[in-house]
Amino acid sequence: MDLLSDLLLGAQTAFSVWNLLYCLLGVFLGTAIGVLPGLGPTATIAMLLPVTFGLAPETALIMLAGIFYGAQYGGSTTAILVNLPGESSSVVTALDGYQMARKGQAGKALATAAIGSFVAGSIATVLIAFFAPMLAEVALVFGPHEYFSLMVLGLAASVVLASGSLLHAVGMILFGLILGLIGTDVNSGEMRYTFGLWSLADGISFVIVAMGVFGLGEILSNLENETERSTVLTKVTGLMPTRNDLKRIAAPVMRGTAIGSVLGILPGGGAMLASFASYAIEKKASKRPQDFGKGAIEGVAGPESANNAGAQTSFIPMLTLGIPSNPVMALMIGALIMQGIQPGPSVIQEQPVLFWGLIVSMWVGNLMLLVLNLPLIGLWVKMISIPYGFLFPAIVAFCAIGVFSLNNATFDIWLMGLFGIAGYVLRKLDCEPAPLLLGFVLGPMLEEHLRRAMLVSRGDATTFVSRPISAVLLILALLLIASILAPQIRAKREEAFQDEE
Amino acid sequence: MFRYVFTAIGSAAVACAMSMPAAAQDYPTKPVTVIVPFAPGGASDTIGRLATQIMQPTFGQPLVVENKPGANGAVGAAELSREAPDGYTIMAASIGTLGINPALQEDLPYDPREDMEILTVAVRTPNALVTRPDIEATTAEELIAALKENPDAMLFASSGTGSSDHLTAELFWQVTGTSGIHVPYKGGGPAQTDLMGGHADASFQNLGAIANFVREGKMKMLALAASERSPDFPDVPTFAELGIEGMEVYSWQAFAAPKGLNPAVKDVLVTSITEALKSPQATEQLQKMGFEVLANSPVEADAFVADEIARWTEVIKAGNISPEG
Amino acid sequence: MQGHRTKDFWAGVVYVTLGLATVILGRDLPMGSAARMGAGYFPTVLGGLLALIGAISAARGLLRPGEAVPRIHIRPMILVIGATFFFAATLEWLGLAVALPIAILITASASSTFRLAPVPVVGLVLFTVFCVLVFVRGLGVPMPMLGTLFGA
Repeated sequence: MDLLSDLLLGAQTAFSVWNLLYCLLGVFLGTAIGVLPGLGPTATIAMLLPVTFGLAPETALIMLAGIFYGAQYGGSTTAILVNLPGESSSVVTALDGYQMARKGQAGKALATAAIGSFVAGSIATVLIAFFAPMLAEVALVFGPHEYFSLMVLGLAASVVLASGSLLHAVGMILFGLILGLIGTDVNSGEMRYTFGLWSLADGISFVIVAMGVFGLGEILSNLENETERSTVLTKVTGLMPTRNDLKRIAAPVMRGTAIGSVLGILPGGGAMLASFASYAIEKKASKRPQDFGKGAIEGVAGPESANNAGAQTSFIPMLTLGIPSNPVMALMIGALIMQGIQPGPSVIQEQPVLFWGLIVSMWVGNLMLLVLNLPLIGLWVKMISIPYGFLFPAIVAFCAIGVFSLNNATFDIWLMGLFGIAGYVLRKLDCEPAPLLLGFVLGPMLEEHLRRAMLVSRGDATTFVSRPISAVLLILALLLIASILAPQIRAKREEAFQDEE
Repeated sequence: MFRYVFTAIGSAAVACAMSMPAAAQDYPTKPVTVIVPFAPGGASDTIGRLATQIMQPTFGQPLVVENKPGANGAVGAAELSREAPDGYTIMAASIGTLGINPALQEDLPYDPREDMEILTVAVRTPNALVTRPDIEATTAEELIAALKENPDAMLFASSGTGSSDHLTAELFWQVTGTSGIHVPYKGGGPAQTDLMGGHADASFQNLGAIANFVREGKMKMLALAASERSPDFPDVPTFAELGIEGMEVYSWQAFAAPKGLNPAVKDVLVTSITEALKSPQATEQLQKMGFEVLANSPVEADAFVADEIARWTEVIKAGNISPEG
Repeated sequence: MQGHRTKDFWAGVVYVTLGLATVILGRDLPMGSAARMGAGYFPTVLGGLLALIGAISAARGLLRPGEAVPRIHIRPMILVIGATFFFAATLEWLGLAVALPIAILITASASSTFRLAPVPVVGLVLFTVFCVLVFVRGLGVPMPMLGTLFGA
């Protein structure tokens, strides 16, 4: 069988001493970078890009890929421990992961994330090996209409994320959508809400909003009750998930992997929907949806698996079509070009060593991450028992440096500070930051695809329902909204009756 | 203890002040920053990094690439124009930053020719007219005929409003007397994807970026906006061969420095950059990426940039394109 | 009845303000039509919706009993956010090695447990060294170690 010889070639490449070493270096660096708040894989890979010029192409790509998925692992660690999501996918992990950590289950949450990610990564790698060329065609089926409908589904799912009032969830999503408008309008090239500042022309980076609203906002509210916090953290229970826990997370991990693998293939922002689509599904599927947002282990397992599976399959459009699905993939294409390889459909045939070596190394890297991270959990848990008075200034410092490194501009630090104030005040008003961030991520894509779809179909809105994939996605979104509203309406009625009593 | 610290800082400051370069012939005496006003991984970044990498061994001082992305290069370019013209800050930027922004944006915080000296136009790559694979037209003439038959119908994808490929499409409509619907995307990648997926009809894209897609049959290439045919695609005619004049459009990358550079310093920079670009190693690698090395002189570069700005100003005016909608 | 002091009411006020600001600031943007939407279409719709949600929330806050807005602690906010502003403002001028420890000290003083003792000061120095080594030296983040004040 061809595949077998291909995989053998890949194994030979991935298991060569140098490639193993660079893979390890990549995942280690990635984890370390991911853990530092604000510093993401994009900035790191950008900085390390010149280092890879001297390496063989496959070695360079293996290391860069290692940094990418290593950073995903590290990012969840920060999200769980200190409620600081470094990218859109870990916003969801922070929701229940941080609550678990506050209950003294940080170890369990981290282990769940690591195990879920490993399982998902392994399955997704197999998927890539078997189906990459076929799956690439799927990416081309999605046009503006399909993407718009997908974003609508994503918006519906983000309402599910809120644990409090539905009204405020919608309000915060709208606020997020509006924040996302800032910058140059893709369709007309016009600058909107930039107040004459050229630094705002490309919009506000997600990391700035997340670090401000989540990170600084959280720190400010923690400072109000410092003594309370330290007592909460003294009782650390079980580092590892129990057999019962493993049973609970098995189905979420599988569902998350499936969702993540599918969405990751779509280059137009599918991967970032993966984690919260998974969260929405788990919350809907759970018998105890009221536990979500208060430390449900399923709420960590599902999205983490989805995220990692999506991260792996997002390599498919890059490797088979030469299309970048996120900034990291764009950098990898840049790295390949510098190596004299033009990414595109011919890479599999012309560069089998590179293609299959990378695929096998992804699995190896995931295994390395598991082995690297499980023993580290004890250390991480100890780290949050550092007195908060020492911990929070360090977090603020990392946030400021990390935010600077996005565009190498101090302007972004100012913005982060402003968002910190906003985050703190909104918290006081019971307005949750998670829907805000998701609205912020989805907003620009929603508008871009809607306006493009209308342009392409010459103003005919019926095309959204006459195209089958788009129609199915819209129906799913409708069903989801109905299922959110139904209990709400019921609760309203009950409330009304209670008021009368 | 504090006194010692202050003394140490003070003497360090004095030492630094004394080591300031006194004369241009010493240049360079400290690291040179190369601003790339785009995110890492793009064409400007690649050119900047490739050139500095080759310059490094003989330059004598480290060349540090700094990415300052934003507003199609305007943020980084504005920063360059504020720097001292001492040769320690230069920039590697694109047609967008130096050729189109000045024509498109009214309140641009820099003027490429007033505030900067163009050191050299490093490389160029022609734009190619490509279509979705299943379009009926098989030649550029057929496409133009179809456009004339159905005005304002065909979808032209571009990598953004005011991008080089948008303006090329605009120019194409103007010189051929046709029209179409401009569909802007966020960067070349998504535009190419939708073209391959058949969601858009045609586009002008950099030859280097789409060469592989054309070879694989994922796109059709109908004509090249170059002065001569590409050796990689000997069957694809240029617009001039088809009798369409004024359709020679290249995307280019150039190096620039703040205005008022000492001539001796400028000379050092220009020589080492152009020599690096012309080295066999760079030429070969750039060719693989679809770039042709130009590495012209500052005088030629300045004239070239002036021509480009004038040309795009005209296209923008004729096409009534403005960022105000 | 807590009336205008409830969270719902004030959240509503915030939404309405933001929503209206979006609409007003975007009033010069071309609206276009549903088929060819202009740059102002989406912002106006979103701003209007947010203002509507805000109005509902404010009304709910006025009509129904709810939790009062908890006290907003101004001092930690000024210190922590002020520290990030200080860092942003002085980074070029002082450099990371000086601006960072000062900013950290300002941040740390927001805590009620803050006091200057030998151990934390040593920790601060080590942390600064760590950041300089990792970010400036290791990762090559283009921020100066010592800023223009020191002639660099």
